[in-house]
This record gives sequence, C-alpha cells and structure tokens, in this order.
Amino acid sequence: MTQYLIMCRSLTHAQRSAQVLERHGITAVVTKAPQGLSDRGCAYAVSLRRRQAEAVELLKEMNMLAGKVFEQKSGGEYREVRV
Amino acid sequence: MIYLDSAATSLLKPVTVEQAMRRAMRTMASPGRGGHAPAMLAAETVLNCRLAAAELFHVPEPEQVVFTMNATHALNIAVHSLVSEGTRVLISGFEHNSVTRALRAHGAEIRIAGRKLFDREDTLADFRRQIPDVDLVVCTHVSNVFGYILPIEQIAELCREHGTALVVDASQSAGVLPIDMQALGAAFIAMPGHKGLFGPQGTGLLLCGVPGSPLMHGGSGSESLLQSMPEYLPDRLEAGTHNVCGIAGLLAGLEYVREKGTEEILLHERRLLQKMRAELEDCPLQLYTGEEREQSGVLSLRCSAMDCELVAQRLAERGVCVRSGLHCAPTAHESAGTLDTGTVRLSFSPFLDPEQAGRAAAALREIAAAAS
Repeated sequence: MTQYLIMCRSLTHAQRSAQVLERHGITAVVTKAPQGLSDRGCAYAVSLRRRQAEAVELLKEMNMLAGKVFEQKSGGEYREVRV
Repeated sequence: MIYLDSAATSLLKPVTVEQAMRRAMRTMASPGRGGHAPAMLAAETVLNCRLAAAELFHVPEPEQVVFTMNATHALNIAVHSLVSEGTRVLISGFEHNSVTRALRAHGAEIRIAGRKLFDREDTLADFRRQIPDVDLVVCTHVSNVFGYILPIEQIAELCREHGTALVVDASQSAGVLPIDMQALGAAFIAMPGHKGLFGPQGTGLLLCGVPGSPLMHGGSGSESLLQSMPEYLPDRLEAGTHNVCGIAGLLAGLEYVREKGTEEILLHERRLLQKMRAELEDCPLQLYTGEEREQSGVLSLRCSAMDCELVAQRLAERGVCVRSGLHCAPTAHESAGTLDTGTVRLSFSPFLDPEQAGRAAAALREIAAAAS
C-alpha cells in the first residue's frame, strides 16, 4: 500500500499538522522522516495512507503546508508528489 | 509549617503535579530526538503544555511558547534578542535583577520610570513621558517585593502607539492575573513555571511575539546538517534536551490554574492579605500596602526595632517561612526607600487558609512586641 509523507519544518509543526488532519477525520501519524528526503538533516513528517490530496489541500488552506510531499511505493523508494 | 514564600517558589502544589512528574520520569524519553513510543509520548506532553500555555495567555500559536529553565533564563533570551550596546531601555522602578543585570551585561542605556510605590497614575505618567525617547520598554507586571500591580495594559498601549517593543516580566502575575499576549502586543512575555503556575523548579516560559535570538546553541532535533539554530520557533530558542519531567509537572499546574481560574486565585490571596493587614494593624510594624486593585497576594513589612533577617529567622523558628532582605530587587527597594533595611516579604497562595494566615500574624505580633 502506498504511504504518503508530508514533510514538516519541526516536530511541533508535525504534531499540529497531524492534529488538524485528525480533527478532519484523516488518520495521520507523526514520524521521523527518512534522511534522504531532507537536505537539512533530521526532520519530522506526517505519514498517511489515504486521502493525501485532501490532507494537502487542508494544510494549504490553513497555511500549514511547509514542506514537500512524498509517496512511498511498495518497493520502498520515495518519489516527490507535485502539490 | 506555614509557607508564606510562594513569590519565590510555590512549595505547595496540586497533587497532580507530582503524579505527572513521576509518570513522565517512568515513561517519557526525549522529544524531537527519536521516533519511538517513549519519545513520542514525551513530545505529546510537551505539545500539550505549549497548547495549555497558549490558551491561558492568549498566544496565537503554540510554537510561540518556548520552554526555559526559569523566568531569568526567559528574560535573558528576550534581552539578548532586543538589546545591544547603547540601546535605550525604559524600565519600571520595580524591576528584578534578572532584568537589570541582563540589561547592563548587554550595554543598555537604562532609564527608569515610575518610582512611587502603589501609584499607578504616577507610573503611567512617567512611562508616557519617557517612552517616545527609548527603543525598548521592559516592565514587570507585579513587583516581586511589594505586590504592586503596575498598569501594564496601559503601558503596552503606549508602546503600541509609539511602535516601541515591550518585554513583560510576568514572574509574579502568571497564574494570578489575566495575561493576554495578543492584547498586549508584547515582543516577549517571560514567566517562571514554579511560582503561580505550580510547576516544579527548573521550568519557565517565554511567550514570543518575535522570533528572537538564541542564547544557547546546540541540538534541536531538526535541521541537523545546518550549523546554526533553525529560523523557526520553538526550535530556534530551545537547544538541548527538554526538561520533560518538569514540563509534565508544569502542564498539570497549568491545568489546575485553568480549572480554578486566576480570578478566584487572586481573590483568595487578597482575602488572606486583608486578614493579615487587619491582624497586624495595631502592631509596631510598617506594612507596605496599596489599594486593593493595586496589590496582589504579596505583603512586605518592616520592624523598626529588629533587622528584617532576624524577623525572618524568628518566624522560621516558629515554623513560618518567609523571605527577607532585598529579594534580588535593589531597584524596587530603592524606589520604596527600603534599600538600607530590606523588608520581610509574606506571599500567599491558594493552598494557604485563613487560619494559617492568622497563626502567622500572631507569630509576627509576638516577635514585634518582644522587639519593641
């Protein structure tokens, strides 16, 4: 199953993003982002398995989308998703 | 024991504070460092504490709530962020050394407004006169020595009118008086966690209206490749591992204050103050008191026949805990004319009852009578 990662600028930002999504019924989990996805070192992300487009729109609306969005295919590799 | 030193640290706290700290110690790791369950549980507690503080003090975003070691640490970050050699800073006549020493260390040109104790009109007039000529105002909300409540809302309004940055020292008001970050429009508001918010020692908060400059540099768990602190809050001002146990305790304290309400807390403390005043009225002691709206639950007094340290010692022998001396606030004592003698300070809390206040007053009467 495809997993989506919404990159966040900080742990606090990731937690708040996840809270916003949860409040809108979108299951989201705060997770450490793979090193290869950030050019600045350690980072946190919000991970979700579905309703990613809705999640991105929601965060955009609330001025909370601060990073790139990636999808991870079953093979494990990540690909940036244009938002 | 009768504890009348809550202006230094609230020793008597809600039972939930200790429970939360024990739980944190057993179950929580470092937030922002790992992705495992104990780290994420810690992160949840830290966020909840930011949210609780943001709600209580009307801070727009929880990211603007920064954890510090105490109010002094928070004030030092604020001063470090806004002051450099020659910055013209206006302070009140009732500031603590945590403000004045930090300002001097940064080379500020310090000016003082409002030196009349319990005279809010004079304080405001003096701020109004001097604000146009300064770059920054740093003002305590309540004097830690006398409980004098400064007209901070009006001072903030003057700062907004003149586009002057404002730093508020809320060390004695947080948890006792309403504080509205948005309404004040302050650059920073600094407060301890271990006084009116009932957290443990080693906790403090800096509410940030501007990003600020880091006083400490180090790990933040974010942007680790960069060799400078992140640009965004709270990471920018929080280097190193958080005091998670302390923050868990502070969260429980904040919840207590939210449930009880600052209005009820202030009312209780003022009742105790009035009782103490009434019982000491005909006693050979000099009490420093103002109108009810001008004074929080802090009372300074002096016994002309006995050194204030000796009065405190005699009280301690009777199980009454107070603080004597200059209270790290020589500026305030200079303003009140008590710099040479110091005062004995009694400070109240929601966990003190009138009967205890009465016994403390009786002990004071006995000591004063024996001295004169």
